[in-house]
Amino acid sequence: MNSAPTNYARTNYAMVRRLILKDWYLNRWMIIGSIPAGLASLAIVLTGKQVAFLLSIILLCMVIIGVGAQLAVVTTINERKEQTLAFIMSLPVSWREYTAAKILANLIIFLIPWLAITAGALGILLLPGATHGLIPFIAIMAVEMLVTTCLIIAAGVITESQAWLTVAILCSSLGLNILGYVFAHTRGIAPQMWGMSVHWTAASCTILLAEFLVAALILALTFFVQSRKTDFL
Amino acid sequence: MHSGPSSIVLSQTGGPLYQQIMDQIKQKIAVEEWKAGDEIPSIRQLAVDLRVSVITVKRAYLELEREGLIVTQHGKGSFVATGIAVGPHLYEQKLSVHLEEAARLGTTIGMSGRELVSRLRKALDEVDDARPVSPKSLKESQ
Amino acid sequence: MNDVCVRLEGVSKRYPHFLLDNISLDLPVGSILGFIGANGAGKSTTIRILMGLVRQDSGSVQVLGHAMPAEQTAAKLDIGYVSEDMRLYGSATLAWHMNFIASIYPQWDQSYADTLVRRFDLRPEQKIKGLSHGQRVKAALLLALGRQPRLLLLDEPTTGLDPVARREVLAELMAVLADERRTIFFSSHNTLDVEQISDRIAFIDRGRIIALEEKEDLLDRWRRVRLVVPPSAVLPQFPGIVEVGGTERLPVLITNHFDPAVVSLCQDRGATVQSIDSMTLEEIFVANVQSRRELQPA
Repeated sequence: MNSAPTNYARTNYAMVRRLILKDWYLNRWMIIGSIPAGLASLAIVLTGKQVAFLLSIILLCMVIIGVGAQLAVVTTINERKEQTLAFIMSLPVSWREYTAAKILANLIIFLIPWLAITAGALGILLLPGATHGLIPFIAIMAVEMLVTTCLIIAAGVITESQAWLTVAILCSSLGLNILGYVFAHTRGIAPQMWGMSVHWTAASCTILLAEFLVAALILALTFFVQSRKTDFL
Repeated sequence: MHSGPSSIVLSQTGGPLYQQIMDQIKQKIAVEEWKAGDEIPSIRQLAVDLRVSVITVKRAYLELEREGLIVTQHGKGSFVATGIAVGPHLYEQKLSVHLEEAARLGTTIGMSGRELVSRLRKALDEVDDARPVSPKSLKESQ
Repeated sequence: MNDVCVRLEGVSKRYPHFLLDNISLDLPVGSILGFIGANGAGKSTTIRILMGLVRQDSGSVQVLGHAMPAEQTAAKLDIGYVSEDMRLYGSATLAWHMNFIASIYPQWDQSYADTLVRRFDLRPEQKIKGLSHGQRVKAALLLALGRQPRLLLLDEPTTGLDPVARREVLAELMAVLADERRTIFFSSHNTLDVEQISDRIAFIDRGRIIALEEKEDLLDRWRRVRLVVPPSAVLPQFPGIVEVGGTERLPVLITNHFDPAVVSLCQDRGATVQSIDSMTLEEIFVANVQSRRELQPA
């Protein structure tokens, strides 16, 4: 019974898929439980009222980060805490599959509500009569959340430590608020925010691009750091 | 257990395992449980049944083969040797061991050869007296 | 004909307070090696290096023909690993774990796994968190055995098990060896078990392999000799005395290179040999370690 010759340097995608499904299965109640909160937030967003809109955005941030962070905690820290890491690493996987699976499992669960809500928010803003000017800002903030989630996942996977993960979560929430304030007052964004037309300035474009790059960088760095680990247990 | 109780029973306090296996196989041959020419379990099979390392069983089989009690044919298996009288052989070795022990002890307490021999004769007489065991003699000795 | 299943050559690994020093050992296919050492001697580290979970600082590691840790993914397809610090997922059932493993390993034998469930007296629909320690160990072993691995790497497989469970586990391990293409490497504190089922023995102490040989050879070499030495005589010197105990008139010597000619040697000097006893594996291990530590204190 010989398995097909494996190229040892390539990732075994079947195992990655199995590990992702495993994490989703084991945490299914947490994932399912976050849906009502997400839907409620989406509903508030969709009502379109300006004040409620901004409030709900904040609420959304908390829900999304909360769920993303909680899942990251459970899937990464707990493997070490509950000592199941040895069980997983006794399977035909290397750090590559393990890291990829943890990142994807958490990222996908985050991306689903994130995409839904971002699309919903942008959709509302594109309706005639809405404050179109807010679109760049909302886009920037949405991608900002993607960046912080990547940071939280990375911290969980690399450090496997409750302490560091808490630091990452705190920095993320803080960072979001601070950057939100900063961006809302940037010369390239602020003036256009409350206007009725969409204005993609150089500033907003650069910021958006930078955010995507940072997210990608964080994930690449995670792989790099994992590859340098000599003791996986 | 799954394979049924093994017909050889080992004890953790019975001395070297390979020795125990050898002794029990010899007894089986002596009482003709395993008759001359019969096939006996393969080394690996016996090891699994007894939960003992293959090496240990191998050693027991090698010793038995050297003493001429079993024969191993490569590829065919192991068999009880034909044309041997195991009964006396089984106890032959035990006798040697005991006699050596007696000699050693005797020397230690400073007995002469002649004293040892007379002690052996006395022991022989006691064995003769004990045979045959009839109800009458049992009652008498009580 | 005899391929090597596992080969460690000059493997070293340094930790802040511990050094695994120049470990070399071979494990032929179809054999079973028992690894004995005190806590902290380096057993678990060695086994983790074999699994590719820890990368050695120097030396080469070959498992089932694969270099570790580089080719660990391929190697682990044929390895069943159970260690005492390994846990299964508490919120999931044994059945879930069995399906999980079955989906990964093409050689998973469901009927054999079902037999093991019965033999180990487990219930598949039970959640792992509801199992006792002994049941968890058996569950982990079941998952390792069910995939019919060519190599079983077991770190303390019987520790913490009650005597009945221990016998069951040993029976299953020996049953594995009925297939002479399968190999077992296990570490254990239970020297009686190791003595019974191992073909080869390795002792490890303070990060170094201090003995590596066939079990029967090891058991043959070591003897405890009791002598009676009359007041006039001088204690005979014979090779390989590792320990001298007892009193001046009734010394007890432990030797690791027993030679039957010793008997006459003693009698020449006027001493009589009271008895020559074999030693259990545990006694050999302790004597070995103690004599070394006297020569090289920490």
